[in-house]
Amino acid sequence: MKDNLYLSWSSDDKIREMGESGGAVTALLKFALEMKLVDAVLAVKKRNGNRYDGVLSLITDPDEVVESAGSLHFAPVNVAKEIHKYLDGAKNLKIAVTCKPCDCRAIIELAKRGQINMANVILIGLNCTGTVLPVVAEKMIKDEYHVNPEDVVGEDLDNGKLIITLADGTRKEKNLEELEEKGYGRRENCRRCVFNIPRMADLACGKWGTKGKKATFIEICSQRGSELIEKAIETGALIVETPDEEAIEEREEKDRQAVELAQTWEQRDFDELRRLPYMDRLKYWLRYFNRCIKCFGCRDVCPICYCKDCYLEPERGFVQGGQTPPHMMFPLVRLAHVADSCVNCGQCEDACPMEIPLTRLYHMLNTELSSIFGYVPGMDVSEYPPLTTVTDEELHIEEVNVFRKN
Amino acid sequence: MGFINSAKCSNEDLYVIQKFIRVVQKTNNMDNASRFCHSPTVPALLSTVGSGVMTTSTTSIEQADCIFVAGPNLQETYPIIARRVIRAKRKGARVIVVDPRRTVTVKSLADSYLQIYPATDNALINGMMRIIIDEGLEDKEFIEKRTKGLDELKDYLMTLDLNEIERITNIPLNVIKEAAITYATAKNACILYNSGIAQHGAGIENIKALADLALLTGNYGRPGAGVNPLRGHANGEGFGDMGPLPVFYPGFQSVNEETAKRFEEIWGVKDLPSQPGMTYMDMVEKCKVLYIVGANPMLAAPDTNRVRKALEEKDLLVVQDIFMTETAEMANIVLPAATFMEKDGTITGVDRRVQRINKAIQPPGDAKPDWVIFCELARIMGYEEKFSFDSPVQIFEEIRKCVPQYRGITYKRLKSPSGIQWPCPTEDHPGTEVMFVENFPTPDGLGQFQIAEYKPPLELPDDTYPYIFTNGRVVFHFHTGTMTRRTKRLNNELTHGFAEISREDARELAIEDGDQVLLKSRRGEIKTIARVTHDIRKGLIFMPWHFSECAPNVLTGPTAGPPSKMPEFKFCAVSIEKV
Repeated sequence: MKDNLYLSWSSDDKIREMGESGGAVTALLKFALEMKLVDAVLAVKKRNGNRYDGVLSLITDPDEVVESAGSLHFAPVNVAKEIHKYLDGAKNLKIAVTCKPCDCRAIIELAKRGQINMANVILIGLNCTGTVLPVVAEKMIKDEYHVNPEDVVGEDLDNGKLIITLADGTRKEKNLEELEEKGYGRRENCRRCVFNIPRMADLACGKWGTKGKKATFIEICSQRGSELIEKAIETGALIVETPDEEAIEEREEKDRQAVELAQTWEQRDFDELRRLPYMDRLKYWLRYFNRCIKCFGCRDVCPICYCKDCYLEPERGFVQGGQTPPHMMFPLVRLAHVADSCVNCGQCEDACPMEIPLTRLYHMLNTELSSIFGYVPGMDVSEYPPLTTVTDEELHIEEVNVFRKN
Repeated sequence: MGFINSAKCSNEDLYVIQKFIRVVQKTNNMDNASRFCHSPTVPALLSTVGSGVMTTSTTSIEQADCIFVAGPNLQETYPIIARRVIRAKRKGARVIVVDPRRTVTVKSLADSYLQIYPATDNALINGMMRIIIDEGLEDKEFIEKRTKGLDELKDYLMTLDLNEIERITNIPLNVIKEAAITYATAKNACILYNSGIAQHGAGIENIKALADLALLTGNYGRPGAGVNPLRGHANGEGFGDMGPLPVFYPGFQSVNEETAKRFEEIWGVKDLPSQPGMTYMDMVEKCKVLYIVGANPMLAAPDTNRVRKALEEKDLLVVQDIFMTETAEMANIVLPAATFMEKDGTITGVDRRVQRINKAIQPPGDAKPDWVIFCELARIMGYEEKFSFDSPVQIFEEIRKCVPQYRGITYKRLKSPSGIQWPCPTEDHPGTEVMFVENFPTPDGLGQFQIAEYKPPLELPDDTYPYIFTNGRVVFHFHTGTMTRRTKRLNNELTHGFAEISREDARELAIEDGDQVLLKSRRGEIKTIARVTHDIRKGLIFMPWHFSECAPNVLTGPTAGPPSKMPEFKFCAVSIEKV
């Protein structure tokens, strides 16, 4: 499998300089636009140069691509939702999109439902071990690092540390676990996420396995990804070399460590709930849902929720209108509709004004459903959600009968 | 001639409006719809701490270890501030909620709930202060260094009979005591209040009492402390700063000869009006010509039948608004205005936070931003030179010259979404998170204790009208429903009003949930649907005021005298019967 792995960097000095690890992704995006392989590119830019204000930008001018260079860890953008809602699901627009593993998975889920046209989308996946909410990041940098947030020019998560780089080149680091104990650090859903290398995309790009070199480790994951890389190498936009065994092993090891840490968090967040008897679990969640003010934020931002006539709206007649908090059908029906497909992107929890820890519920249920059905959402467009493919025969199997007392 | 404006407008709109009225019309007859919301706040807080603004910032509410929610149903009316309270609670803060209704805020946020008899708030606070002094929990150091007048207040508090207060407020004495001790022993205790405290005949007394309570316990000048009036509009703080009021020029400079002269110099004009002007209801009743911007007195003003008659009799009624409101329907001339999405500008949020609003779409048809309409009017009337603004940023530059608190704020600095909290005197000043850190803006820099004597409400229940009527909001609608009843997603949640009535009262009157009921007061009658619930006290009836077909203000009426002239929206006497 070695010929699908490359260490790469841009042949353009400026892009190599601006990029996080040699500017390979930026070079690929620029190349794709210049060669008219795509109509536009979706990447995150710092609005007004502010790294705490990362916005997903639709770029059509190849020279503008370099403005999106460099990784931003404080910009948890909702890529799948934006493609679906604002770009008409890429029906008539060819795009190349940089995305985190959760974004890739959400896009694939929407593609399964006929909501995004995968033929028009090139997914350039980016390695990710988590993002930090911008407001949390600013506060953390001020209160814990004692640095003016505006002085930060880079940040990284590595070896259990959150490292920030200042304009003068100095670096400051703090133990990630300590920060997260205090309520800083990554979003809750990110901590539990085991999808660090986006192999479900066309390309998986990151800096693990680069041994500190200014280069990007690219794994080709699809035919389309392969074609893009080949063309970029041919025209000289991208320079590549083959990684050695050590580099490949380093990458695998980093992934293992990140997965291990994620599993620790998963145990921490879920074990308590898994041990509760069902009625107590319901009580636990109703205590939170009693705070709900029916803002529909969770539903509006969830990439999986796209129904035009939503079951939760009062005109449908299932959830009574005008009640605060709404009847428990409101959160629980959404859960039932989405649970098998939740990709743990965390947007719902970010949106909730009443700080209900939604991902704890949705992600937990998804892991249980995953193991029951042997199905992981967001990996393969041809794999349909189990609740849509369940057969009559299956519904009658004794062990599946949920009303049977255990 | 009278002008009514509202805090729905941006700072730039309001600045131009007040300048027009003063320069072109040469009058101070202008008032803001917040007459009905915080008119008692300004005199009450001016007399105690010298300024009527929110003392802490919304973000630092999280740092409070005791939050005294004097009335607001935060979860439905200020969800984002409720969020701060949720975070404070997570750190161990204790939340005390005072409300005659057991709202969703009580149910999900309160550690301690005081189901108060309506309109007895200052009696409660006086009782708490007496208990704090009896227990020796007052902050002696703070009182010594930063206040004066405690002796007089103490004398008054010592005359109180706590059993009488228990009777008046209908809260058990041990509950009042617990609340008082929790508040007094907290490191940073934060008071949040809004209409429940202000919209009373005794609104000024209520707020004075709250300020006294905070002064007594040294809860001023730190993040997460203070007495914090919340607002009813996005630009609820900014409008005040811009001065479209009968008694203030921009920057809270009192209307008088001296101020008029100062502005004559700044604006390069002559003969600016130096006499205070008329207030909202006076203009509605007495002015022959009335120009209303963004306000809806047909729903928002007390005693609707009287308001209708007054508006019908105007020689000229001009209404400038974004939709055809109930008031606009009665106008001779309607000027369509642009909404917040259709113009650039700034607004100043509840914690003195100046923020940008950014134009996202073009206004439809002939609609124009409010400031543009007034500039064009000024041009037609020959004042082109003084109203030659081409863009909001030019207006803001002029605002910076007139309003010292805004001097250091620029559009460039406002690029950050968190805005800048005034006072901000210079361009490198970061803004001010907490007020009154060193001293109070009173003449001698000290906080002044005021005696806030309990007075009964302006209209008491009697045999003909035996129930207390109050009103408020629900999360799905905003104010008079001008915007929310036109928004399908929100309106579909709640398409019509209701009257909340207690189970006991409902049983006595043979009213069931969903029955049509008729409410009558001395001033009018309305029909609506009954909602029978455990969550409201016996003797009290509550309605949301968003629905014009069953408008609570048909029933309300009595108004306090000057300086607040606040109608007692939250308390009047009604009868209720099944239809």
